[in-house]
Amino acid sequence: MLIALLIMCIFLWQATPAFMSVRNLLNIGRQVSMIGIMAIGMTFVLISREVDLSVGSIYALAGLVCGILILANWPLWAAVMVGLLIGMAAGTVNGLLSTYGLLPSFIATLGMMSVLRGIALLITDGQPVTINESQGANAQTLDTFYFLGQGRLFDVVPMQLVFFVIVAIVGWLVLSKTVFGFRVYAVGGSDKAARVSGIKVYNTKIMAFMIMGFLAGLSGMLSLAFLPSGQAGRTGVGVELDVIAAAIVGGASLSGGEGTILGTILGVLIIGVLRNGLVLMGISPFWQETIIGLVIILAVGLDKWTSSRRKAVAR
Amino acid sequence: MDTEAAPIVELKNISKRFPGVQALDNVSLTVFPGEIHALIGENGAGKSTLMNILAGELQPDGGEIAFAGKPCTIQNPFVSQQMGISVVYQELALCPNLTIAENVSLNRAATTPGIALLNRRKFSERARSVLATLGLDDVDTATPVSMLSVAQQQLVEIAKAISGKVKVLVLDEPNSALTPDETSHLFEVLRRLRDAGVGIIYVSHRLEEVLQLSDRITVLRDGKYIDTVPAAAATVDGLIARMVGRAVETLYHRSGALTAGDETVLRISTLTSTKAVLGVSFAVRSGEVVGIAGLPDSGKDELVEACFGLRPYSGDIEVMGKPAKLHSPDAAIERGIAFIPADRRRVGALLVMSVRDNVVAASLDEVSTAGLLRPNAMRALSQDYVNKLDVRIASLGQEMATLSGGNQQKVILARGMATQPHVLILHEPTRGIDVGAKAEIYRILQDLATGGVGVLIASSELPELIGQCDRILVMHQGRLTGEFTRSDAAEEPILACAMGQATHFWRIALSIQISRRLRRK
Repeated sequence: MLIALLIMCIFLWQATPAFMSVRNLLNIGRQVSMIGIMAIGMTFVLISREVDLSVGSIYALAGLVCGILILANWPLWAAVMVGLLIGMAAGTVNGLLSTYGLLPSFIATLGMMSVLRGIALLITDGQPVTINESQGANAQTLDTFYFLGQGRLFDVVPMQLVFFVIVAIVGWLVLSKTVFGFRVYAVGGSDKAARVSGIKVYNTKIMAFMIMGFLAGLSGMLSLAFLPSGQAGRTGVGVELDVIAAAIVGGASLSGGEGTILGTILGVLIIGVLRNGLVLMGISPFWQETIIGLVIILAVGLDKWTSSRRKAVAR
Repeated sequence: MDTEAAPIVELKNISKRFPGVQALDNVSLTVFPGEIHALIGENGAGKSTLMNILAGELQPDGGEIAFAGKPCTIQNPFVSQQMGISVVYQELALCPNLTIAENVSLNRAATTPGIALLNRRKFSERARSVLATLGLDDVDTATPVSMLSVAQQQLVEIAKAISGKVKVLVLDEPNSALTPDETSHLFEVLRRLRDAGVGIIYVSHRLEEVLQLSDRITVLRDGKYIDTVPAAAATVDGLIARMVGRAVETLYHRSGALTAGDETVLRISTLTSTKAVLGVSFAVRSGEVVGIAGLPDSGKDELVEACFGLRPYSGDIEVMGKPAKLHSPDAAIERGIAFIPADRRRVGALLVMSVRDNVVAASLDEVSTAGLLRPNAMRALSQDYVNKLDVRIASLGQEMATLSGGNQQKVILARGMATQPHVLILHEPTRGIDVGAKAEIYRILQDLATGGVGVLIASSELPELIGQCDRILVMHQGRLTGEFTRSDAAEEPILACAMGQATHFWRIALSIQISRRLRRK
């Protein structure tokens, strides 16, 4: 996977020298961060053998509520806290429905995707929310908020990328170094075997959904801070598929038990670099979509084709 | 067997190599029409590979296949079916959503053009006539297969296999899920098919049955052809020696004497669980090996699951003298109970994870500090048990799915032992495991008992229980119907109990057995 990314980078470097500029690379880093943060959470959910389709709606709802609270002159930390809590609460509901509620997570989160989107529409009355001083926001709060979304650390690294890196590192630590991470793999590998080993299967899955919700909320707020406006009917629509695609290209499996944070990061970068490269090369947006779709099929297909050969041997 | 007839199938010097393994090395097998030919060998001996080649699922690297005297190649399963070779695999290949009649006609549905109109009446007529040849006259062929018991599904599978023109019937461990009654019925059916001129290849682990059923027996070991013997001249010990390549005398027999201590490690009082277990009481002392025998629907499976918190129950459970509420497996592990489940591949093993991860999975507190895993501790703990149990692996990181059944079971045992239990509960501990690994697992159990662990084994294999246990409890319809100590444990009386006949009849049963033996001589 890494090799594929490198080959792609070298090719793009040859094709359009502008690709390899620090500026462009950081730009890619910023562009992929929002999807990337959520893909880290999706990795947990996919490994535990579930899926979350509601992330786009959580992303929109958490961001919009946070924005409304900022406009209502709440202190920034409180508004952000509420946004994160909304994300975690939504994740908890997803988790409860998919475990104790006995629903397949595909259905549970498909429903929640609609419910949360509806709540966001109700709260905003379908109107766009724009975060600026003319709407009544406190100037100092706004400065900090803007910095989180648009600023650059040391005037170089985009803050969104900084968040992505932090989330990725923490995610990697949790997934590969903690007992919880072990449980996620065990539960996804075989929930029955995990249960017989004394692992609380439902709790583990609910935690995975909560992490996903938390990160979707975080991502939604950062994205609002970047833009800085959003609309309940449009923000984050269809994002869940980009997120799932990135994790899957990175090696996570819909049938659970497989996936790594490193792989997901590569998946995110492959799609991000590809998109950026296609733009730089001036390829039409229609072709861009087609090519990205083919790459997803190819990436997952290659993995399956090689692993099916492995299985034939085991038989 | 009609020795005058020409062989219906000849597999000559078949070789098959998978990367890293020579699965078959110059193996030959000749089957005549009208014979039951048993194919035996340990797991990994190459039986399944050979049958897959015959079925066209795999292509041999070398060797020849002749069918009805003519050399041929079997490119795919479709070709083998056209030739009249039917295979009943161990894992059922039925569509649970379809009816009996539809399943019996599945093969035909595969060969008729898709545009042809369905004739459901013909379906059920055909199914009825096939089932009648199996001695099943009173079956509603419109029943969905999902409503049938495993044993009934097995019979539907066989009906499906013989619904077309069948010249060779291959059965791969067909009766692993059948009761003795159902098994003897199955044998009846197979004999009838044999007498009708079908060549039957019967793959099995159960040597007593192989001797009883088959005409000739072919033994494979490590992918090599060992011997073909007439069943009349074979003995169980002789077959085992050929399969393992050495004599296994102590296989079924516990070496040590009763080592039970005075301490009661597990006490079950009036345990009731759903409708399967009805007021069962018993106790296991430290160092004691207690067996639970019973037919598949006797409630023994549900009993051991309840003892590990896998299903709700009422009644009292005491572990080490203290009352325990076992509402989930983690509560049971907490109290010092370890459990080895029956379904190794689906419930026991974490197939996609490494051996190391599989060993530590139930002892995560042991190998972590404040929620952080300690890789060194994980490695040390798993290496320790891998050595103790002599698990054969390339490295601790090896994926569980790549191990043989016996080694997987040892890893799962290691997981249970790593929790340092007072009570070890095993559910069908050696199902589908080859003879060598079986003997090793028995040795491990005996060592554990000697070390003071109370061992409880629920098993459908009576020889296993009789050989391993100090005491055998027998269940029938959710209740304990008998208890046998080591000295009076024998198959017939235990079976009688398991079928619901009162305990004191065992003497009669025993006398029947003795008289039968005498008659045979």
